[in-house]
Amino acid sequence: MSLFMEDPAHFSKSRLKLDLVAHNVVLPPTKSRKEIYVDLYLKHIAQKNAGDFSSDDEDQEQDLADKEEEEDAEILVQSCLTDDDLKAALLKHGVKAGPIVASTRALYENKLRRLEQSEGQGHVNGVEKGVLYSDSEEEEEQGEQEDGESGSEGAKEETAEQSNQAQQGSSQPSQEPVKDTIEEMFLNMEASPTGICATRRRPIKGAAGRPVQYIYPDTPTSPTTLERREVERRLVPIHIQILVFFILACLLYIIYVCVEGNSFSPFVALLDSLDQGSESEEGLMLQAETQDTPVISGQE
Amino acid sequence: MSSTSQKHKDFVAEPMGEKPVNALAGIGEVLGKRLEDKGFDKAYVVLGQFLVLKKDEELFRDWLKDTCSANIKQQGDCFGCLKEWCDAFL
Repeated sequence: MSLFMEDPAHFSKSRLKLDLVAHNVVLPPTKSRKEIYVDLYLKHIAQKNAGDFSSDDEDQEQDLADKEEEEDAEILVQSCLTDDDLKAALLKHGVKAGPIVASTRALYENKLRRLEQSEGQGHVNGVEKGVLYSDSEEEEEQGEQEDGESGSEGAKEETAEQSNQAQQGSSQPSQEPVKDTIEEMFLNMEASPTGICATRRRPIKGAAGRPVQYIYPDTPTSPTTLERREVERRLVPIHIQILVFFILACLLYIIYVCVEGNSFSPFVALLDSLDQGSESEEGLMLQAETQDTPVISGQE
Repeated sequence: MSSTSQKHKDFVAEPMGEKPVNALAGIGEVLGKRLEDKGFDKAYVVLGQFLVLKKDEELFRDWLKDTCSANIKQQGDCFGCLKEWCDAFL
């Protein structure tokens, strides 16, 4: 819709002619009436003007509307995606997603949305870089918090973080980190009455020969592990238990074999020797008895 | 000396067993209550969520923020605590 309605009927014939020529419209014969010029003018030029005017006004509105529609459509589309589709979409952006379950689905949808928005902004900072920036900034924040530096430096961090976040278009609202840093600062203040916290600066991971993993000077032992160790010291160690078990097993096996009377020659020899031993003993006892009985009978 | 808390060291020293969710580093009374209301009443349930997210830092932090409104420090503490526990026992 044009802002102001031009009435070509008010124009002079020469004006109409000039306008028609300017818009490359074929002129009617020179002797034709003004009305014909007006009609032609209305037909070609008015439409054109209407088109131009609307493009001036509605372009901006349309852009906003389009963006909103796009976002709404995006959200709708994402929620309509199946788990597999969501996983494939994430893979397209280079993200290898884990299982998409009820509890993880919302997180992955947010991640996809963030990736698509950051791509739409034209790869200003890659999303991975964005994550790195946010992580390193958070680490720096924590490190500086622990050093207990003054609020001005904290404010600098906040503004730097905010500008970075604005560039990245990350989902975290800019107010949250501000609140968090203020909270952390106040936490430190509460701990010490003077408000000065002197803690050791966090060592840089992997630098100057420092190992990346956490290493504690003493192995941490909880009370339960200490108790367990003491109890284990008093009990018989396992190796000795196994040894005793094997010895007993062998003894039992030998006894079993002896009782059953196996056909193994050494065991047979063992048996024979035992028998001979017992026979000789019996023989001696019998002789003794026979000797005794005549003696006894003799005495009687 | 590292910058981990006593709570962190206690948690990472032994298998978590049936420890409550308050035992996690970064999770105090308020956050613990919120997690319990959502059904995460034991530390191992939060560990489950951590593992389902494939131990990814960004996703786990987002999940913590969405579930119990943890701030950045708390998110970091909890993530570090669980990551170290997994390195030691998983």
